[in-house]
Amino acid sequence: MAQKTPEQINEDLLRPLSGTSGRYLIVLAFLAGIVIAALCSFFWQVYAGLGVSGLRSPVFWGFYITNFVFWIGLSHAGTLISAILRLANATWRRPVTRCAEVITVFALSIGATFPVIHLGRPWLAFWLFPYPSERGIWPNIRSPLLWDFFAINTYLISSVTFLLLPMLPDLALVRDRAAGWKKKVYSVLALGWTGTPKQWNRLERAMHIMAIAVIPVAVSVHSIVSWDFAMAPVPMWHSTIFAPYFVAGAIFSGIAALILAMACLRKFLHLEEYLLPIHFENLGKLLLVMSLLWFYFVFAERLTAWYGNDPSEMTVFWVTQTGSFSPLFWLMVLCNFVIPFPLLAIKKTRTILGTSIASVTVVIGMWLERYLIIVPSLSHKYLPYSWGTYRPTWVELTITAGTFAAMVMLYMIFSKLVPIISIWELKVGLREEAHPAPALAPSHTQPNEVGAD
Amino acid sequence: MERRDFLKISAATGAVAALEGCGNPDHQLIRFVPEEDMLPGLATWKPSICTLCPAGCGMLVRVMQGEAEVVRNGQLGILKMGLPKKLEGNPAHPISHGRLCPRGQAGLQVTYHPDRIKTPLARSGPRGSGQFQEITWDEAMKQLLSHLTALQTSNEQGKIGFLTSPLRGQRKTIVHGFAAALKAAPPIEFAFLASRTIQEANAWSFGSDALPTVDLSHSNYLISFGADFLGTWNSPVAQSVGYGHMRNGRTGQPGKFVQVESRISQTGASADEWIPSQPGMDGVFALSLAHVILSEKLGTAGAAGHAGALIAGWSEGLPDYAPAAVEKQIGVPAATISRIAREAAANAPAVALIGDGPAAHTNGFFNALAVNALNAVLGSVGKPGGIVFSPVWTSQSGKPGAAEGKKDGESSVRTLAEQIHATPDSVKVLLVDGANPVFATPMAWRVREAFEKVPFIASFGSFIDETTVLADLILPDHSPLESWLDDSPESGSTKTVASLAPPAMQPLHNTRSMPDVLLDLAHQLGGPVAAALPWKTYDDALKIAFSSLQKQKGSVSATDADDFWTKVKDQGGWWSAEDKSVSLAAGKIPAAAVKNTAPQFDGSPDQFPFHFLPFASQLCYDGSLAHLPWMQESPDPLSTVMWGTWVEMNPRTAEKLAIKQGDTIEVASQHGSLRAPALIAPGIAPDVIAMPIGQGHTNFTRYASGRGANPISILAPMVESGTGSLAWAATRVKISHISEGKIVMFGASLTDASPELKHR
Amino acid sequence: MAHQWGMVIDLDRCTGCAACVVACHAENNISTVGEDQAARGRAKHWIRVERYYEGEFPDVRVKFMPVLCQQCDAAPCEPVCPTFASYHTIEGLNGQVYNRCIGTRYCANACPYNVRFFNFYNPEWDKPLNLQLNPDVSVRSVGIMEKCTFCVQRIKASEIQAEAEKRAVKDGEIQPACVQSCSPHAMVFGDLSDPQSEVSRLARSSRGTKLLGELGTQPKVTYLQRESWHGAENA
Repeated sequence: MAQKTPEQINEDLLRPLSGTSGRYLIVLAFLAGIVIAALCSFFWQVYAGLGVSGLRSPVFWGFYITNFVFWIGLSHAGTLISAILRLANATWRRPVTRCAEVITVFALSIGATFPVIHLGRPWLAFWLFPYPSERGIWPNIRSPLLWDFFAINTYLISSVTFLLLPMLPDLALVRDRAAGWKKKVYSVLALGWTGTPKQWNRLERAMHIMAIAVIPVAVSVHSIVSWDFAMAPVPMWHSTIFAPYFVAGAIFSGIAALILAMACLRKFLHLEEYLLPIHFENLGKLLLVMSLLWFYFVFAERLTAWYGNDPSEMTVFWVTQTGSFSPLFWLMVLCNFVIPFPLLAIKKTRTILGTSIASVTVVIGMWLERYLIIVPSLSHKYLPYSWGTYRPTWVELTITAGTFAAMVMLYMIFSKLVPIISIWELKVGLREEAHPAPALAPSHTQPNEVGAD
Repeated sequence: MERRDFLKISAATGAVAALEGCGNPDHQLIRFVPEEDMLPGLATWKPSICTLCPAGCGMLVRVMQGEAEVVRNGQLGILKMGLPKKLEGNPAHPISHGRLCPRGQAGLQVTYHPDRIKTPLARSGPRGSGQFQEITWDEAMKQLLSHLTALQTSNEQGKIGFLTSPLRGQRKTIVHGFAAALKAAPPIEFAFLASRTIQEANAWSFGSDALPTVDLSHSNYLISFGADFLGTWNSPVAQSVGYGHMRNGRTGQPGKFVQVESRISQTGASADEWIPSQPGMDGVFALSLAHVILSEKLGTAGAAGHAGALIAGWSEGLPDYAPAAVEKQIGVPAATISRIAREAAANAPAVALIGDGPAAHTNGFFNALAVNALNAVLGSVGKPGGIVFSPVWTSQSGKPGAAEGKKDGESSVRTLAEQIHATPDSVKVLLVDGANPVFATPMAWRVREAFEKVPFIASFGSFIDETTVLADLILPDHSPLESWLDDSPESGSTKTVASLAPPAMQPLHNTRSMPDVLLDLAHQLGGPVAAALPWKTYDDALKIAFSSLQKQKGSVSATDADDFWTKVKDQGGWWSAEDKSVSLAAGKIPAAAVKNTAPQFDGSPDQFPFHFLPFASQLCYDGSLAHLPWMQESPDPLSTVMWGTWVEMNPRTAEKLAIKQGDTIEVASQHGSLRAPALIAPGIAPDVIAMPIGQGHTNFTRYASGRGANPISILAPMVESGTGSLAWAATRVKISHISEGKIVMFGASLTDASPELKHR
Repeated sequence: MAHQWGMVIDLDRCTGCAACVVACHAENNISTVGEDQAARGRAKHWIRVERYYEGEFPDVRVKFMPVLCQQCDAAPCEPVCPTFASYHTIEGLNGQVYNRCIGTRYCANACPYNVRFFNFYNPEWDKPLNLQLNPDVSVRSVGIMEKCTFCVQRIKASEIQAEAEKRAVKDGEIQPACVQSCSPHAMVFGDLSDPQSEVSRLARSSRGTKLLGELGTQPKVTYLQRESWHGAENA
């Protein structure tokens, strides 16, 4: 990156904003089609009743809640990782933070729709809001679903702030170069950023505060999502390990999603000179750590259940280990550990391709993990007479596909509106490289590594 | 457009709700003036009688005001009227004791069934096509009358057949009186579960041609040979009440309950000890128990009296029935036989029952006589804790044809069919009321083919079923809740019971009560027929009949006839004040003592390796209740199957034939085959496969048509050698795997350990 | 002190006849869903008779166990509802306020007994089956949960009647539809806060157990276990 001048950076990173290719539009239209199909499915479900889904007694939660947990988990990619890297002052983070933070905002938004999609009467979803209603009743604060409501909203607000704050200088840059209606729009978005030292100072401080504040929020969100399950006396749900297990799983899937997003951006937006193998290698190492951590959690959870030998827990244990859910379980282990571990552990395979493959399997594996937490337990609760099976219908499949399409679509659109890599932070990096700050060691070592590339 | 759809669309398009008034056809109907005063929201309880099985339970009907679409004088409109909402047992009634079985509870859906025949119908398409056109009652009566008078003129009244479900009380008086006065053939009363063999055996052993009343509440030991007495046999509600008392309702030792059968029935599931035995060997088992009692001097041969004397070898102590000698035949270890006999003898009063299944073998009559003899030697006949025979009220209407007519078994339909096939001209007019023999007889009897040869069939049915669909003319009866009802059950209580109920509601549709139609016909026919049936209406007949009870000591004391009538109507009937039982007569004396003959089975064991055991469904009964959604959707207690049928087999059998749960299999006898899903359950002998009766209707409303298969259809025409009844448990079958299939079960797991024990 | 309604189910008496199941349908306007929906697990039976086989032929035993809402004192279904649709009434019932329910189905997941049922579609009655509907019980629309109420409409009717007559509710006066229908008298309903009531006396029986009581749900239904027969011969 050393050879890039600030002008080149501007040029390269603002290029995607200047126009769209036909291929881009075709892909976008295709994705929009899937999203529209999902919306139609949802409205059909609202019109006809939740019976059009595959949900049934006793599996009252299925694909929708799986997706909910999955997307909320994925959202931990961004803000949390970005915040940690910022606080650690890892300079290699600079091209990574924004694509990560965007994942958070979109994944969280998508995830947050599922509690509404899965409602029996979604038109009354606003009853979850705490407001002095004409019904004379407040929501039940004892319900983990209400904690969810607060946690997700807090996380969403802070993530959006965390994304928007460091975007201001770049939006101002776009504003300064745009004309016509675009200039007006970006003027509004840039919130009057002029780049005075005072503004820079405040931005730095705000980012620092946000980076600290957002970490407990992120941890709490997934802990609370886990408590949706852990607070109910359902076999294999009612567990103390769930909160850290879910947080670790969330970060795990989040990093995988980030690597995938970066690989795509690198390829399609031609950012080969910005998103470098070192980024993938570093994130790959993180993914490796999380894979080990995930394995550790699963092992600890299963081993404890096995030794506990509670009949109802063992039912769910065996149905996942060797029973009807075992193909999915072992596929999950394959996806989350057996494939990614060697790929990421061996330096030779910790390449862009290697980490991308590992990330694909991890994303699949983590979706399966959510499914395997929810469905086997619900279908094998206590009284064997009332056990049941679950199979999704096309409605759930379409809506699920629609959310993946929506994620990619939103990401594509975003990358055309805002520089997906923080321009000013790269420039700061350049400056620091030119005038190494003596106090901070990481900024010494890492740019050297980058420079050696 | 459905109203609901309209509303949805209104909401979706944002149309104002005010439009609803214009679009809703309900609001365009005229409103009739209410005929009764009712306070909205307040419930009244009216007595009624359950007619869905022969037990004759007294009910209370919860009636509340509602609005119904009804037809009055050909005009559809809305009527504010009393509508039955719930059926419960009548606490004062000596049979139901305030309780009701699941089938009785569902009686409401008979009245409110969407596919009830709402008006008289005349056939408009080919016979059996189900095409009918609506006609008026005047036209319908004219048609029927012309057919009857035509036969009268040609002096062929004997070619008028009358086929009904089993009749009792004044309904029987009127039907039989009508047929007799018309010089028609004697009416045939048909039911698949008629228990004729048991009744006949009781006539031989005890002189009472009836099912026994079982006094379970005082029993200490109960051996039931395949009697589904808690489910479908005899008087299940009364027996369940007694059973509850026997289990835990009294201080001291709960009674022990032993069930002997080859497939766990809903009743057998509650047994303390369930003993699988070889099909058709129940009589041998019973006599083996008697042998132990006699040989160990736990009872004396003389104590069994006439019931014992009927059995060959009884006075010698049944030397052929030593447990060790018969254990292989019965399939029960000799030690078990001896232990059961000793337990029974030591825990008096002990009682033995025999159900329809064991009696439906070629040696069923012997089986029933043997169980009777066992009962006699146990000293439980006519005693508390045993079996007693209830005094049945025979009405004193002063007219012939009352309850003294001989009881019919299902075999009389076979005779009828044979007669028609032999001389097609022998039945020219057939009147059908309630019975559905086309469904409930083996295909081998060719009943449908016979009926198709009858020139004119008139049905009083409320539903198009397999028999009524053949009718040329349908004169729909009221539903039971809309009718005057009376009943005099033969068992279930030690009191004499004469139930009576006025209509619990006004008729919903353009229907008429069948007895009233007969009285009207008689009136129009004139002459001796009119003279034989002098009453203007059915309730007139009932009032006269019941007036004879006023002087007897019973549940109603009244000042005068009208007061008595009112009180009987309010109470739901009259029953004697004291418990009485029929004193035991000597019974029939046969030329020689009865010997066991080995049960015969249709089909060779090599070719047809399995015994085929049909059984009455706890919910659909003999198939006559398969049209009720509640009966279809309630899970069968044992199989938990909903909305369908199944073929039950042992896991070992299934494993051998590579059959999985729910697979479609074919069951074939020498006389037909059927396909149904397999249900693998441990409570059945490996050489037996069982199937519930009830489903397999080809034509029985939207809820039952085309659902499942009918086990009766493939039965062999085997008969009980003594009584001529259908031996419906004497068919052998083979099974073959067809394909993967589907079975709808409410309960997920068949064999997991009971959690309530696990967590004890 | 408020009544605490409870039930005792004597498994020694229960014959599994399913009268309670049908009685409940009739009393509480529970719609039938038809074969296709039943096959997809949407059948609603507020009370069901669970059946468990034990052993293998010929030593087979069958156990019946009617399972309905246990009206737990520490009900897992109640705290999880975000809209207070499931709540604890002063008389100890697990109430379900249909109007408040938005259909998260969280209560159904939390319930260890699987006795909460969801309306996957709007209920339908083919005319004129709708004439049977009990005016005392509301019909539940699509998207909401429903469950056994211990026939709260009957409880309330008796309480109002008793109050009008200025007396206490008599023991045995209130019978939910299932209890009323039970031929072998396996079910007894009454006030657990009255130690003299039949239900209290039976609940103290040595045969009494709570279903999944180890979960701490404090059910108000007590099951009396079956006893093996121990007659004179075996004594």
